Amino acid sequence: MAAEARGIHRWSGWLFVSPWLFGLALLFVYPFVASLIWSFSEYDLLTSPRYIGTDHYERIASEIVQGKGVGKALWNTFYYAAVSIPLSTMLAICLAVMLNWQVRGQAVFRTLFYLPSMVPMVATSILWLWLLDPRDGMVNGFLSFFYETPPLWFQGIQEGVSISSPFQFGSKDGLTLMSLWGVGNFMLIYLAALGDIDTTLYQAAELDGAGSLQKFRYITLPMLSPIIFFNLILGIIQSVQAFTQVYLVSEGTGQPAESSLLISLQLFLAAFRDLEMGYASAIAWVLFVLLALMTWGLFRSSRNWVHYRGVRI
Amino acid sequence: MNKAAMKWKWMALLCVSGIFLLPLLLMLLASVKPAEQLTSDPYTLLPDRVLLENYRDALEAIPYVKYLANSIVLCVGSVVGTVISCSLVAYGFARLKWRGRNLMFAVMIGTMLLPWHVTMIPRFVLFSELGLYNHLAAIILPTFLGDAFYIFLLRQFFLSIPEEISEAARLDGLSELGIYWRIILPLSKPALITVAIFQLVASWNDFSGPLLYLSDHEKFPLAYGLEQFVSSYADQTHLLMAASVMFTLPMIILFFVAQKSFIRGITMTGSK
Amino acid sequence: MARQLPITILLLIAGIVAVWGTTISLTSETPMDREEVVFWHFWSGPDGKVVDDVVRRFNESQKDYYVRAVSMPGNNFDMKLFLSITGGDPPDLINQDDPIVGDWAFRGAIYSMDEIAPLEEVERMRKWLLPSARSLGEYDGRLYAVCNGLDIRALYFNREMVEEALGGPVPVELESVEQLDMISELCTQYTNGQLRQVGYLPDPRRLWAWGPVFGGDFYDEQNGRITAGDEAIISALQWMQGYRERLGAHAVATYRQNDQSLPNKMFPLLAARYAVILDGQWRVRDIEAAQEVSRTKGEPVTRYGVWPLPVVSRQGKNGWVNGNVFLIPRHANNAKGAWEFIKFWTGAEGHEKDAAETCAAGGWIPVSKQVVESIEFQTYLNEHPLFARFVEFAATEQVPTPLVPGASRYYREVNNLVQRVMYDDEVVDLTTELKILEQTMQEHIDRIQGRPSFAEEHADE
Repeated sequence: MAAEARGIHRWSGWLFVSPWLFGLALLFVYPFVASLIWSFSEYDLLTSPRYIGTDHYERIASEIVQGKGVGKALWNTFYYAAVSIPLSTMLAICLAVMLNWQVRGQAVFRTLFYLPSMVPMVATSILWLWLLDPRDGMVNGFLSFFYETPPLWFQGIQEGVSISSPFQFGSKDGLTLMSLWGVGNFMLIYLAALGDIDTTLYQAAELDGAGSLQKFRYITLPMLSPIIFFNLILGIIQSVQAFTQVYLVSEGTGQPAESSLLISLQLFLAAFRDLEMGYASAIAWVLFVLLALMTWGLFRSSRNWVHYRGVRI
Repeated sequence: MNKAAMKWKWMALLCVSGIFLLPLLLMLLASVKPAEQLTSDPYTLLPDRVLLENYRDALEAIPYVKYLANSIVLCVGSVVGTVISCSLVAYGFARLKWRGRNLMFAVMIGTMLLPWHVTMIPRFVLFSELGLYNHLAAIILPTFLGDAFYIFLLRQFFLSIPEEISEAARLDGLSELGIYWRIILPLSKPALITVAIFQLVASWNDFSGPLLYLSDHEKFPLAYGLEQFVSSYADQTHLLMAASVMFTLPMIILFFVAQKSFIRGITMTGSK
Repeated sequence: MARQLPITILLLIAGIVAVWGTTISLTSETPMDREEVVFWHFWSGPDGKVVDDVVRRFNESQKDYYVRAVSMPGNNFDMKLFLSITGGDPPDLINQDDPIVGDWAFRGAIYSMDEIAPLEEVERMRKWLLPSARSLGEYDGRLYAVCNGLDIRALYFNREMVEEALGGPVPVELESVEQLDMISELCTQYTNGQLRQVGYLPDPRRLWAWGPVFGGDFYDEQNGRITAGDEAIISALQWMQGYRERLGAHAVATYRQNDQSLPNKMFPLLAARYAVILDGQWRVRDIEAAQEVSRTKGEPVTRYGVWPLPVVSRQGKNGWVNGNVFLIPRHANNAKGAWEFIKFWTGAEGHEKDAAETCAAGGWIPVSKQVVESIEFQTYLNEHPLFARFVEFAATEQVPTPLVPGASRYYREVNNLVQRVMYDDEVVDLTTELKILEQTMQEHIDRIQGRPSFAEEHADE
């Protein structure tokens, strides 16, 4: 009784959390350990695993060095994340700011902007495969006014955000375009955060003679920085997990020439085409370690640019 | 705000929504075009003639009603499981103090960083050993074990409810479960609706779950049915577009109906 | 209350649909006195109906078994199959066309036919099959898969375009690859600097065909060695690269040929974008349909023909064969029933007439000379002369993707390399790249085979 009055709940806390704990053991800890063991074995799900030491990791290392297979997939994922995350962040914030304007029909606009992200990925993929066809697609029909050789999109191996082939958009850029179209979820989160910003800050700035741009730069952005940080991490996780659209636009092969082979597709192929569960587990672990390092690095750097209002998340 | 500025803002919003919605509009237009027009004349916006038959053909190609029913079962089951489990767990993290709470919460955030690939195959092996292969339960049951993202959202929300309310209830002799059920939950309607809608859309679009765990086409949901449709009718864009429109429509309707609560829920979970 | 009304209506509709949908049954009832054979395949639409018809005829022809065909179209059909085997709930019979036989046989995911049927019957089946059909199912000296329809590819051409380009009669067969190149050049046309029509353009995935035609071998079965770095294969790749050098990588990428279609692509030959295309026998139906449309509209009918792949080297084979194969997964409930159905469909053990009917309905190439020579099928061939050519080619020396564990990856890696060569203007050292690929795949295969196969492990059972 006394303990409860003090607010320390010994058992009930664990009890409430127990469904998740059970899930943790079953769906995380066990698979975690199992996949680690498998990553050191040759395993095809049909016969029992056979220990082979670090062979898989050596193979991954050599593929990274050669820039093929897993190496290519990691590069592709990095490129995709590096291009799409900044662009979608900027777009999402812009859209959120626009949707925060007190205009007539605000609710309707909010729905309209969110609509594209409700379309299932399968339908989105079909739609964009059709729109980005280099010959018959509407996008290139529009772009042909500006280009002598219009970009190949899902049939091209080029990387449009590079010095060697600027604006010659290839398969990964097509994926970026798709992700920009589906930016609704991030936009909503920013919208919620915008509503959270203390309006007195803006009023004080206006009294000091600040214009819209300055208000944005010195108030809005810093206030949003924790959310930007949060979405950054979410965005990285999403790029790494992106599967359905990658599979569909590349017909399951990462074509052309492995240019659209993102890491989750590579993992899928290793596991279910090549029947190499051990190798796939090793890839998953390498991925996990890389992500953990990156997240840790981001957390460290966040002290420099993320402005918490005195409260840690 | 002066009238001129408002007008510009309104125009800007209109333009951007136009650009955003253009692909959707094109999809809708393509779904009623006859097949020949798409091949011979891909740039013309308007259809030569409106073919609602495309929808009928698409409907005949897949057992829409059956798949829809399966989707509904999956969605309802998942939403129920998610809302119950995530609210319980979030309550434990937000409204109760216990030793190890912060550590467990950090672990939970950590699991969000885990790519699903690490756990996908072992999970499959586990579920098939449990005899759940080819059962809808394989997809629904895990939702009863919570989801880190929703738990995080709900915890944020629960934290914003004043502690005094709980204190008063405890003094009145209410158990924690009672507080959870009678006080916290009703106060959290917007947040719960948000979580429900997010999970509903996720279940509706979920295709990897059925891909891994279902092999009996009596059990396939619409998302998987659409994917099958894509492979068999890959060269008939008009049918594909019609099927896609039919698939997306329920979600759009849902959003229009629920958008007020949805946006409110998002806004409120954002505030800490 | 007013705000809640739409939601309640929605929930009500959802509830009704859920109950209604649950009561719908997609499968027909299996008669009580028969053993059920569950058959998974990827056909749908009109092809699906043909399959249903074959199944019906089989069910009517005997009293012991009842085949229930389940159509599972989908990009990841083989993954689903594999998961069903590991999940413990496989079908009794599978039809699919990916190069997985070697892998699955090695790992024991499928039965070899002699585990199910008497040895003499299997031996008779092997002799009865065409060599190309047999090669699609043999691994380690045993028959693990039975081909039920061959996929043969050859060079379709637009007769009018070629006649115009040559200024004379069209040859019955190509004399050489050089002749093909010449025809291709003559038929390539530009408008305003943009490529409007291409004579011929090799599809990157068809190195698997051209390599053997040039005299090369991708796998030395005797010694179990990957031979992608074969001289002849390098020549074949160089020849393909020549097209990219002449046309430019951008044009090649934009003009990418597809076997399976991307959304909204009709057979490019019919769209007059090519004069010559390498494609499979199923295109005959597309051509006949298009010609029929022209006829009914009163427009001039374009004539098409087909050439076999030109002979390049005396050691050269005639092409690459793929096909639909029947597999029986391990732990299937009714393997015997599956075997009976296999015999019925393919025509073995006296079912030649049934098989002729099946192949004619589905536009499939029969897997045995006996079926081809049957009266019923000969009648069909007389009505479809273009198709008859493919049946002719099926009897020549056609090489499959090597049936070896790791074949999926081998197939993928070769295609990736050729795509790099064809879609990028970057200069690639073909010899080095092929040799590297050879070595990588050899290591891969050695590693997989570093342990005993399923058959070897259970040899004493």
